[in-house]
Amino acid sequence: MTDAAPLVLIVDDDAAMRRSIAFLFASVGLETESFPTGDAFLAALPPPEKLRPGAVVLDVRMPGMSGLEAQRLLAARGCPLPVIIVTGHGDVPMAVEALKAGAHDFIEKPFKEQHLLDTVAKAIHASRERLAAAARRRAVEARLARLGKREREVLDGILAGKANKVIAFELDLSVKTIEAYRAAVMTKMEATSLAELARMVDTSD
Amino acid sequence: MTTYRALGAACGLAALLITAPADADDLRVGVLAFQGSERAAQDFDPTIAHLQRVLPQHRFSLVPLDLGGVTRAVAERSVDFIITNPGDYVGLEARFGVTRLATLESRDHSAPLDSVGSLVIAPNRAGHPVGLADLAGRKLAVVTASAFGGWQVIWREMDDVGLSPGRLGELIETGFPMERVVEAVRTGRAEAGVLRACLLEDLIAAGRVRPDEFVVVAERPAAGFPCRLSSRLYPDWPFARLAGTPPDLAKAVTSALLAMPAVDGRAWTAPQDYTSVHALFRQLKIGPYDYLAHVTLSGFLRAQWPWFLAAGVAVLWWIVHVARVETLVRRRTVELTREIQSREKAEDEARRTREQRDQFSRLGILGEMASNIAHELNQPLAAIANYAEGLTHAIDRGRGDAGFLRAGARGIAGEAERAGAIIQRIRAFVRRREAKRETLDANDVVRDTLALFETLAARRGIAVRVHLAPDLPQVTADRAEIEQVLLNLLQNAVDAMTDAAIDASRRGRGITVRTSRDGAAVKIAVRDHGPGLTADVEAHLFDTFFTTKPHGLGLGLCICRTIVESHGGRLWAANNPGDGLTMRFTLPAPAEPTR
Repeated sequence: MTDAAPLVLIVDDDAAMRRSIAFLFASVGLETESFPTGDAFLAALPPPEKLRPGAVVLDVRMPGMSGLEAQRLLAARGCPLPVIIVTGHGDVPMAVEALKAGAHDFIEKPFKEQHLLDTVAKAIHASRERLAAAARRRAVEARLARLGKREREVLDGILAGKANKVIAFELDLSVKTIEAYRAAVMTKMEATSLAELARMVDTSD
Repeated sequence: MTTYRALGAACGLAALLITAPADADDLRVGVLAFQGSERAAQDFDPTIAHLQRVLPQHRFSLVPLDLGGVTRAVAERSVDFIITNPGDYVGLEARFGVTRLATLESRDHSAPLDSVGSLVIAPNRAGHPVGLADLAGRKLAVVTASAFGGWQVIWREMDDVGLSPGRLGELIETGFPMERVVEAVRTGRAEAGVLRACLLEDLIAAGRVRPDEFVVVAERPAAGFPCRLSSRLYPDWPFARLAGTPPDLAKAVTSALLAMPAVDGRAWTAPQDYTSVHALFRQLKIGPYDYLAHVTLSGFLRAQWPWFLAAGVAVLWWIVHVARVETLVRRRTVELTREIQSREKAEDEARRTREQRDQFSRLGILGEMASNIAHELNQPLAAIANYAEGLTHAIDRGRGDAGFLRAGARGIAGEAERAGAIIQRIRAFVRRREAKRETLDANDVVRDTLALFETLAARRGIAVRVHLAPDLPQVTADRAEIEQVLLNLLQNAVDAMTDAAIDASRRGRGITVRTSRDGAAVKIAVRDHGPGLTADVEAHLFDTFFTTKPHGLGLGLCICRTIVESHGGRLWAANNPGDGLTMRFTLPAPAEPTR
């Protein structure tokens, strides 16, 4: 998915703005999708695993759900797409609030069109990494889900840095049995080394 | 005339006698000579002669006196005895202590009489007075105003029926002899006359008056009295001694008098009770009771001075009180006038300040509008810039397909048009002009107004929802004025929604603008979820200069109502059942729809 063509999502209540921004992105070969309200945008948002790289350009001032509210809901869903908040001129408090809430960047109206394009390009680049990380995390979680109860307990022991003997003693099992579990864990987690296993589980926490 | 001369002679004689020293054996008998000294001598000489005969050791002499002379003689004791009329006697008894020894008795009538009375005669004509009260306003003849039998006796009777002498037409004094009274009535000089009882009968007997010539007014018969009467009876003349006359002498004289035979119809009898004479004088406040008449003023004042003082003080207090109240009222009036003036001045001042503030506020509104306009225009301008930048990129990248380029160019044109429309609309709104009525679609007006307003509401975080009814009749209205009304109501709604007391969830419900059909009119409603109206505010909602906003004019709704009403519509406010307020106004549609 991270290799897919990027998609810019535009949320603005003003139709003319939506159309003109879409045209601007089209001129640099970027595909766009526009929404007149935060509600419509959130309703149309695909699940994370189906997301294409890209960015959300969110106008902060809209009737109904405001841009900031939409951003908060987005973050709550764990959407990895970077959000660019479009604020009014000199509206520093709102920009600060947006960044605190996890916005990727903000852009002040009236903006230079090139500035918008650059900001979006950076966001798209960041989105690819974020999507990749998210994909990895999902894969590890899927592998962890395959582990049995004993295998999970053994994995916890390994990650805690305990020797096989200690784990065998704690679980009241033989050392041989622990060794068998340990091999199964490495296989199911598709880890080639203990270090890789540790890194894998760390990112999924 | 002869009477006067006779009186003058009597006076001279009396004066002469008074000055002469009285001899011890010389006993002087004073007599009231009201009909002249000759007549007095004629009447009483027989009595003197009798006394002289019975008491030869004394020398009796008769001293005729007038009324003043009697009083003087008694006061100076120049006489030893006095014969006078009952009225005078009562006075002397009171003042000088004279004592009656005998009362005169007349024997020339059918029965002996020791009493006197009076009667009032009037000509025997139709309409003659019947009672004493009928004498009011008539001329009454009397022998003299100081006569006892000739006037005062009748005066008392008149007083009893409430007729005062002042109410008589005139009191005519004829003088003696009493027959002159008859003459005055007969000639018409008087309408009635007072005579001593029995004189009328004497004159008729003498043939000098015809029996039917006169009538007797207020006749009252008295038992055993042979003559006609108009009055009570009083004792006849007394024979009295002075206080200093020796009792033995008095006793001797009394017995001599009582033993005297009648001469010319005159004799003396036992002394009568003169109480009735006293009563008369007391009632008329004359003679010894003269002071009673004067008592009425100075004496009364002297006797009743505490009351008068109290009354005087009360009157004085009242005057002071009235003066004080008057002064207070005047002062208060002045104060009030001043207060009213200063209040009017303050109101003028306030009005001026208000007008000034209005001016500033209008500028404030303009400022608000300007910022709104800037924001409004920003959108299409930004869009144009986007299109332009996009076109530039496309050209730079050699992506010159006609469809894409045309889309960009059309976008620019469209946004430029939109910007122009905004400016047009603002100019239409701002421009001052005569009211211009045109046929309008109310929904269009609402849409256009909201286009102006929405961004402003959005900036304050308030959403505006619109429900436009389809198939509304067209209305005839001034677009700018209706927009102004709508803007005002929207502004108020936003202000209400951003009230500090309104929480986010209520604020989130936003403002709803709704158009609907209301009979033959179009109704436009602006609903908010603000605090609504208190009864107090509602009562003054449309009052000029009434405002609840810290910097409000108190003009908005007032102007709105004026505008709506000038369109023949109605503007009113109503709290919502749930929360907030709905302002509604109607615009009547013309009878014939112009479609």
